[in-house]
Amino acid sequence: MTAAAAPVNVATPVASEAERRAHRSARIRGIVIAALGVIAFGLAVNTLGGDVTFKFWLQQQGKAFAQVDTSPGELWILTGLATGFTGLWQLWRGAAVRWRLWLVLWLPFWVVATMGTLLDRQTAVLTNLFSSTLEYAFPISMGAFAALISERSGMFDIAVEGQMLVGAAAASIAGSMALQWLGPDAGAIAGPVIGPAAAALSGMGIGLLMAWLAIRYHVDQIISGTVVNFGALGLTNFLYLRVLQTYTDYNTPPTIEKIQIPLLADIPVLGPIFFQGTPYMYIGWVVMLVLTYFIFRTRWGLRLRASGEYPQAAATVGINVIRIRYRAMILAGAIAGFAGSYLSLHSAGSFQMNMSAGKGWIAIAAMIFGAWNPIGAFGAALVFGFADAAQQLLSELGVTIPPQFLASVPYLLTVVVVAGVVGRVRGPAQAGQPYEQG
Amino acid sequence: MRLELREITKQFPGVLANDRISIAADRGKVLGLLGENGAGKTTLMNILSGLYRPDSGEILIDGQAREFRDPSEAIGAGIGMVHQHFMLVPVFDVVESVALGAEPVTGAVRTFDRVTARKRVVELSTQYGLDVNPDARIEDLPVGVRQRVEILKALYRKSDILVLDEPSAVLTPGETEELFGIIRGLAAGGTTVIFITHKLNEVLEVADTITVLRRGRVAGTVLPSQTSREELANLMVGRDVELTVARGPSHPKDVVLELRDVFVRNDRGEMAVKGASLEVRAGEIVAVAGVQGNGQTELVEAITGLRHLDAGHIKIGGALVDEAKPRKVADLGVAHIPEDRMRDGLVKAMTVSENYILDSYHRSPYSSGGRFDRDAIAREAQKGVQEFDIRTPSIETHVGSLSGGNQQKVIVAREFSRPVRLVVASQPTRGLDVGSIEYIHKRIIEQRDAGAAILIVSTELDEVLALGDRVAVMFSGQIVGVLPSEQATKEAVGMLMGGVH
Repeated sequence: MTAAAAPVNVATPVASEAERRAHRSARIRGIVIAALGVIAFGLAVNTLGGDVTFKFWLQQQGKAFAQVDTSPGELWILTGLATGFTGLWQLWRGAAVRWRLWLVLWLPFWVVATMGTLLDRQTAVLTNLFSSTLEYAFPISMGAFAALISERSGMFDIAVEGQMLVGAAAASIAGSMALQWLGPDAGAIAGPVIGPAAAALSGMGIGLLMAWLAIRYHVDQIISGTVVNFGALGLTNFLYLRVLQTYTDYNTPPTIEKIQIPLLADIPVLGPIFFQGTPYMYIGWVVMLVLTYFIFRTRWGLRLRASGEYPQAAATVGINVIRIRYRAMILAGAIAGFAGSYLSLHSAGSFQMNMSAGKGWIAIAAMIFGAWNPIGAFGAALVFGFADAAQQLLSELGVTIPPQFLASVPYLLTVVVVAGVVGRVRGPAQAGQPYEQG
Repeated sequence: MRLELREITKQFPGVLANDRISIAADRGKVLGLLGENGAGKTTLMNILSGLYRPDSGEILIDGQAREFRDPSEAIGAGIGMVHQHFMLVPVFDVVESVALGAEPVTGAVRTFDRVTARKRVVELSTQYGLDVNPDARIEDLPVGVRQRVEILKALYRKSDILVLDEPSAVLTPGETEELFGIIRGLAAGGTTVIFITHKLNEVLEVADTITVLRRGRVAGTVLPSQTSREELANLMVGRDVELTVARGPSHPKDVVLELRDVFVRNDRGEMAVKGASLEVRAGEIVAVAGVQGNGQTELVEAITGLRHLDAGHIKIGGALVDEAKPRKVADLGVAHIPEDRMRDGLVKAMTVSENYILDSYHRSPYSSGGRFDRDAIAREAQKGVQEFDIRTPSIETHVGSLSGGNQQKVIVAREFSRPVRLVVASQPTRGLDVGSIEYIHKRIIEQRDAGAAILIVSTELDEVLALGDRVAVMFSGQIVGVLPSEQATKEAVGMLMGGVH
């Protein structure tokens, strides 16, 4: 607790010292960024000869394209200009520059130019890249929503990964059962509903278990979450190897297909990116908006945040913190499980071992990156989704970098991102702390 | 409304926290509830606010027996609590904090109706003269204002009975006066106020009747006009207590601690100490007064080597300790009684004897060749326990299970077991009962008379005035004044503490 900032004339050496430090680091930053600009020009010289084509769908059925032909060299020159300008601007304006915002100006150039260089003499359909970015972002963003609901209530849902994995298995099995028992016609309609519902239910079960262990027995949630994650992996592996591989009929669920939104889907460029996805994509958008409203504008959200920030304060005004936390964990489980159903029902059309492959963990990183805010978490998920989509694109085009390296990019990105934001954003104060009712 | 508690009894495992306690407060009156820590005040209030349920006894409001199963029922019955540790979410704004739990809502999804809530808050703060910016974030508000928010919270719930638990613990003398004004105003308006404290002066000043609790029982109910501080202290402790420990004049000698333009940052990286300079001589007590959060914590941590010095110099006994580690500082003969004894003073899960050797376990007689000499440790710890009158079942008892006063004695015993040249004591009697305060104060004065330099940091004005041969006041990271004890009156120090030069 601090007292009021007092209007006393604070000794001057302090202020100037802080200023001097800020000024010095601003200069260092400026020099580094400007040097990066020079490096970009250097890369331009080496790659000026190559060429690369970016295509945009205007209309998917008619196969019409808008096309941009360029060379990696040109991209690097643009990158150099943007980076160099930012660096000089930083040097000129010093500490006054809000440099994190300026990252948005020059960092994307590096991404594009790097891709252009890697794609040398190839054609990339960027519309596909962006639409798959949105698709890949879905499970990550939903996982992040689950984690942030639980953390806002004062819990840690470390088990997002396990909930997704179990959700994926449950969705596949339940969807297949629907297909088996209801026949191909009714099953194809009911399956895509029953599958995700089963996934959500299984996630809720795990959420309830986690909440019960943490609230009733004060089990450390990091530990119980880790146990649940390994348990989920073992259980689903067993299920796959011993059951689903033998009875493959129970691992052939009806897949959830992309749908075209009438009219909107025909908009050039935007249509193929935004309005020709699977229902999951739209659900993701809706959940993001609804959750933002509920957390920050409703009574439920106010009480949820209060029990995550200061449960004693909530309890003294008659709020049932325990109930809020149980409900939050169950809701989080439902969302994470539902996200898992995407993995097995979307393109794969079956459950595979360790399908979630760390997406639940990346989701937690996205939550932190997004400052425990649904819109921020969604933005973070897009970054990770883009890394996934770009990796996919490059490997499809046969770019000669080791696939292991490409596959590790999202994880490296996680490390950089989390290291970059930790300490700068602040989560709910009491997340993970047990609360004992008097 | 008239509030009456009859024969309330509450048993916890091993402790009879409330033993047939009966108290009564009339409409528009202020009841002062006085007692040491562990006397059962907080348990009683938790029963009244619905957090605990009594084993027996009843709560009567206007003569009607009521039972509260949870806090919302107590709130519904018109009881408003202002807790000692503010129950406010730091990241919420004032409107959200006040409305939490009783939010006006609109629509099917129960959207929080901020406009209505804000209007109510503004109305109430005008009506009761509680000046608060409704849109400010709690964490940006000074504690005095936070307390007003707490009171607003109770008023917002239409509380007719307001319970204030140790409300002055975090306030400046000026803010305390202001609070008393608010309490009198509320009482005049018909609110029944229960004022819980362990400070004798305060009940005498503001209460209409005083009930004293001791060890879970009512020790007596008196009228302020017919009692004295001495009588109240006697009721609280059960024996006569020296409220102000007698001390002879000081005989300052050489400078032991010297601070020159010290700058220190707090945990958030902000400058907390901004150019503090101070000297403490052998054989004198310098008491640093100030409201919590004006840089005292950081200053003490810098002196004891726990915090990095940003600029300036600190000398102990002539040796420069700007970069010194805590052990180096301790080796110079510095005894440190830290502000937060559970965090910095003791390891709760370790025994009395282990805590006793915590700063010298690595040297003889406690260890040699990397092995402990258990006999020597037990012998010395036993000696410390006897010498400092530490009430513990044995030296192998975990420190966490001792009372606050005895925990503090463990720290004092350890720190004074080494040759002492300088004592740095931060809030040495925080949360202790009058009996323990008396004891600790006596020990500190003994050290002074034995020739040690003493630096005391306290937010309790009474303590500062009782001990300080010189009183330094810290405000906003600076030492804004140093007064010799004869000039250090409550008013003079209080003004400086509030930032008035």
